[in-house]
Amino acid sequence: MSSSNKRHSMMPRAGQLPKAPVNLSSSVVIHDNAVLTGNHTINISSETVIHPRNKLDSSHGRVTIGRRCIIHERVVIGAPSSDPTKGEFGVTLEDYVTVEVAAVIESGCTTIGEGCLIGVGARIGRGAKLGKFCQHCTITARSVIQPGEQLPDYTVLYSNGTRRTDRRGVTELKNKAQARQIDVMRRLIPTNINRFKE
Amino acid sequence: MSSRKQVKGEYIETDTGNKVSRKANLIGTQHIMLGGKTVIMADAMGSSGAAPQSNTSIFIGRYCFLSRGCCLRPPGRIYKGAFTYMPLRIGDHVFVGENSVVQAATVGSHVHIAANAVVGEFAIVKDYVRILEGTVVPANMVIPSFSVVAGQPGRVIGEVPEGGHEQFEMREMYKTVGNNVPPPAAPAAQAV
Amino acid sequence: MASFTPYTYIQCPCYDLSNQTRHSDGSPSPTSQDLPDDDDEDHAFDPRSPRFNYSLYPLEYLLYCVDCHQIRCPRCVSEELVTIYCPSCLFEVGSSSVKTEGNRCTRSCFQCPICVGPLAVQSLESAPEASLLSVDNAAASGPTGPWALTCSYCNWSSAEVGVKFDKPQGIFAQLSKLRNGSSTGTDVSLTSGDVSPTKRDANIPKPESTRARFSALRTFNQSQLANSNTGSSMAGGIGDYGFSSPAALTRIMSIYSGSTSKPKNKASVMREADVPNEGFRTSNLDESESILKLRAGGYKGTVTMEQAASQVEEGAHFADELWPVASLLRTKRAKRCPACRHILSKPEAKVSNTRWRIRLVAGNHIPSVTIKPLPTPGVPLLSALAPLKPMQYLLTFKNPMFDSIKVTLATPATTPGRFSSKVTILCPQFTVGANSDDYDLNEVLKAEDRDQRDRRREDDGSHQVEAGKVFERGRNWVSIVVEVIPASLQIQPAPSLLQKAGEPEPDLAPLREDEDILEIPMFVRLEWESEPSQDQVGVAPSSKEKDAKEKRELAYWSVLGIGRISQE
Repeated sequence: MSSSNKRHSMMPRAGQLPKAPVNLSSSVVIHDNAVLTGNHTINISSETVIHPRNKLDSSHGRVTIGRRCIIHERVVIGAPSSDPTKGEFGVTLEDYVTVEVAAVIESGCTTIGEGCLIGVGARIGRGAKLGKFCQHCTITARSVIQPGEQLPDYTVLYSNGTRRTDRRGVTELKNKAQARQIDVMRRLIPTNINRFKE
Repeated sequence: MSSRKQVKGEYIETDTGNKVSRKANLIGTQHIMLGGKTVIMADAMGSSGAAPQSNTSIFIGRYCFLSRGCCLRPPGRIYKGAFTYMPLRIGDHVFVGENSVVQAATVGSHVHIAANAVVGEFAIVKDYVRILEGTVVPANMVIPSFSVVAGQPGRVIGEVPEGGHEQFEMREMYKTVGNNVPPPAAPAAQAV
Repeated sequence: MASFTPYTYIQCPCYDLSNQTRHSDGSPSPTSQDLPDDDDEDHAFDPRSPRFNYSLYPLEYLLYCVDCHQIRCPRCVSEELVTIYCPSCLFEVGSSSVKTEGNRCTRSCFQCPICVGPLAVQSLESAPEASLLSVDNAAASGPTGPWALTCSYCNWSSAEVGVKFDKPQGIFAQLSKLRNGSSTGTDVSLTSGDVSPTKRDANIPKPESTRARFSALRTFNQSQLANSNTGSSMAGGIGDYGFSSPAALTRIMSIYSGSTSKPKNKASVMREADVPNEGFRTSNLDESESILKLRAGGYKGTVTMEQAASQVEEGAHFADELWPVASLLRTKRAKRCPACRHILSKPEAKVSNTRWRIRLVAGNHIPSVTIKPLPTPGVPLLSALAPLKPMQYLLTFKNPMFDSIKVTLATPATTPGRFSSKVTILCPQFTVGANSDDYDLNEVLKAEDRDQRDRRREDDGSHQVEAGKVFERGRNWVSIVVEVIPASLQIQPAPSLLQKAGEPEPDLAPLREDEDILEIPMFVRLEWESEPSQDQVGVAPSSKEKDAKEKRELAYWSVLGIGRISQE
């Protein structure tokens, strides 16, 4: 397996792929090293932070990211599904979603509800819906969500498939913490949104 | 190990003996400190792009080995009301396997982190620890010396035996990577 | 199929107890004649036989007693505590406090009862508003209580079961107060306000808490014992003895042996506790409450076996009965030879110190064996072995000792078990050069260079897989070739014509777990000459042998796991 081969499948070099049509809020922070690619529109709402080496791929459908989301390094959003059946829908991340390092969110009508936390290296299958009203789920590191799976609100998915309900009731606190984190990152991450606009 | 077939000149070799792949992804290099004789393979990622509060945010000791696709990141938390990144310190002879993500506060010396593992934020990994494949070490966990850790969430499942200390030694492995690597030496790279 | 890594297991001589007892007579026999090579010859060693359970270990697990000149394994060594410490806070705990406080950390180290992740103390109240938006004055006002233990992995919080703390330190003490109800607990109940209704009994002082019950039962039993003893026909003064005194034991023994000498003992038999303040508790047969709870909470509201087992106190059935689990202490241990009591390994006492004072590992005394398939040109390397196709493997013996050793190998021609593969060692006898003891890195590097050059020269002449010849050789290592013909895993009865009358029925059961792994039992005999060891006080070395080299040998069974045979 040559290294270039692997690179291709993991994370294509910036500029190699067509730039996606984007619709970015002016307060969005995207590291220069991130990749926005595909044919459909990528919408990113205000105060969202996108770390380096991310890949937002809209070639299978539009990608919508809500307000105050944090997308960490090496995340792939809109990855081609492992499920071969066709379906041309995108990915929606609502507000206050955190996607940690190296998580993969497959394309295909996938919805990540407000305040969800996708752990390190987790994989969200196509068409999965986190939260009935799509809110505040926690997916721990290296968990896999099968395509089409639906999680009720406040679900914690841990130990590779076990579920429980989060009853801490710290939603507000979490959102505030996220806002504060974004506040810091905005100052730290070098960004030039115009690069991503045509 | 695919290192043997790599094209000549893939690695940048520094004066202190670091071998860094040209395809490695180091973000915020001025904040990453390598102790020397450390190997960083292609696609390995050290990211301190977002953490320049302290002068150096990733410290890596000697004879460390960062495999393909692994990712080192300083941990961050809300401290005294503000979100702050803390440094990530890694000792000597530390192996980080493919696609592993390390966000620990401290990783001691002689630590083996196998492929696809996740070391959570602010975890403290002491010396002579073996983290098996696919382990998820939860945030804030302390792993004492001579532990074998596995599972999701990670738990100590055993002790490193007395005779197993030498296996953490990375000198041999260091020699197997580089621009002009001699053909593999005595077939002892992987002891029984 | 998962990838398979070849392995070598070595058998510790302790599987046969007779070996050990012979050692313990004091004479440190330098050889290993007492190994089973003579008496076990007729029944070949089968690594899968249950008889050899727990006696096969990878090399790194084995220790080596330099006095007995024998391999010692984790099962046969005796261990001694050096340090007791908490694996989470890494604080050392004195053995006396372990006796009084128990084997769990009494600081603030807890594990999640749901997922075993570590718990951290967190404030339940959100930090004051002011600090949220402006960073400046945040440092002044830290978070305030109440506090709860929360799991960073599965988001469990002790507030879910109604456990909250007033201060973020000394959690263990606060928790045991809550649990055992020795405190009034009023302050805790006052903090409730917004929490779930599950905090029922956490704050009520519980006379029926396990600890209270235990002490009540103990005092009751003690008084009973005292009464019954003085009341019995036995000599006075025995009542002073506790439970485990020899007198009590003889009394119990006399009851069991049914001696007729004291028939009155039966009459004054001890009474059982039967009222609550004696520690008696009736089991609650009215389960309607549990059933209601089960209806409400469903499957998710119950605990798993694992979770229930990890609880310190038994009896949890529902998820809201799970308490944080204080982390179990861990130890550093020294190991002693079971035969001569010499210390085989001893770590430094300090928790943070990872050095060892003594570490006599087998890896420094017996050669390591690595297994690699010998690539044959044109044949791709498969993950599984093709049945009935000869394959060649390279065994590399690396000598860790500073004396050259003569190695003699023996394997049965066919592997034991239902599927017997054919095994041939092409070169069963060879010498492995000494490990040089120059620690000068440059020297070693040079030597290695030389090695490589030698090898390259050999490469030109291309290696010959030839019977009786070493395949490859380095300074302190030798590679030899072993040829295997994996058995076919077809399970079919032999044609009845070929079956002899007296033979037992062939085992036609389907393939068992791991039965497809090709394991080769291999007997290894090492012979070498070394300096006579100085520390043998018992045997006065005869003066003429003083500078003569001492002949030593060591023999053991080992198992080579080569690979899985593919099932076709």
